[in-house]
Amino acid sequence: MEMIIYSIIALKTGPGQLNTVLNGMKGVSGNGLYAVTFNEIAAVVSDIGNIDFITDKSVAIEYAGVIEALYQQFTLIPMRFGSIMGSTCPIIRMLERNYSEIQKNLQKVDNKFEFGLKVICNSETLKTELQSITAKDTSTVTITSSETKNSIYRDYVNKKLQEHRLEDLLLGYVDSVITDITRNLDRLNAINKFKRMLTASIMVDSVFLLDKWRKDDLIEAVGDIQDHYPRLKFVMTGPWPPYNFVEITIK
Amino acid sequence: MDYNVIDQSKEITILELLDRVLNKGVILTGDIVISVADIDLVYLGVKLMLSSVETMEQLKAGKATGVDRLIS
Repeated sequence: MEMIIYSIIALKTGPGQLNTVLNGMKGVSGNGLYAVTFNEIAAVVSDIGNIDFITDKSVAIEYAGVIEALYQQFTLIPMRFGSIMGSTCPIIRMLERNYSEIQKNLQKVDNKFEFGLKVICNSETLKTELQSITAKDTSTVTITSSETKNSIYRDYVNKKLQEHRLEDLLLGYVDSVITDITRNLDRLNAINKFKRMLTASIMVDSVFLLDKWRKDDLIEAVGDIQDHYPRLKFVMTGPWPPYNFVEITIK
Repeated sequence: MDYNVIDQSKEITILELLDRVLNKGVILTGDIVISVADIDLVYLGVKLMLSSVETMEQLKAGKATGVDRLIS
C-alpha cells in the first residue's frame, strides 16, 4: 500500500513525543498517521488506498492541515502535496540518503516561521498618478517625438514610447517600495524573497522567514510601512510552515 | 493583533495555503516516485489539482478584485 508523506520532522527528544501527538491525529481520508524514523529525523506518513484522491482539492487542504498541526509542535520540512512512496523501506532509504541535507534545512528553519506579504494596488490608477507627477519628463518625449511628425508611424511610436515610459515608472516605483520594505525589516534579520508585479494588481509578492519571537515586531514594522503608502494595500498571511525556505532536492 | 495588517480572510488563507502545498515544499523526484507508482499518474494527479485551482480562479474572475487573484 502506498504512503503519502506530509513532512520530515526533527526528533530533538526522541520519537516519544511525536508518536503521542500522531496518536491523536488523522491523516487524509481519515487514515492514521505514523512516523518512519531514521536517527534523529522522522517522516510523518499515512497509508493511502487509492491514488485518485489526489485530484480532490479538499484533500490538499486536509493534507496542509496535518502539516500545519505538526508545525505547531515540531521543527519540520513540509513536503509538497503528492509526495508518495511505496512502503517504509524506501522511505528509510530516502531519509538515510538525504540525512545531512535534511538536517541542514531543519537547522535553518528551527524556531522560525514564514510570513507572506502581498502589496496590492490598482496599477492603472498608479500609472496615471506617476505620469502626472513626472509630466515634465514626459514633455521631453513629445519634443523628441515631434522629429517623426511626418512619419505615418508617429502615433504608434508615441504610444509605444509612452507605454514603455509608464512601465519603467511603475517598476521603478515597485523597486522603491521593495527597498522600503527591506530597510524597515532589516533589523528583524529576516530572510526574504520578493517577486515584482505578480499580476496587474499584486505589485509585490514576498515571503519572510524570521524568528518566532519576532512576530509582533514584524507586524508592527509592516504597519509602519503601510502608513507610508496609504494608496497601497499590504496583506500579510501566516505564520506558515517554512514552505518557501527549504532548499533541498530529495534523492 | 492589528486586523488592518493581518488579513485573516478565509478566502486569502485558502488560496495562499493551496499555493504553498501545491507549488512549494520539498518534492520527491527521480526513481523513488517511479518505483511507487507510474510517474505519469502521479504527475497527472497533481496537474489536475492545479487545473481545479485555476478553474476556481476563473470562476472568481467575474467578481475579481486584487485580492481574488492571489494565485497566478
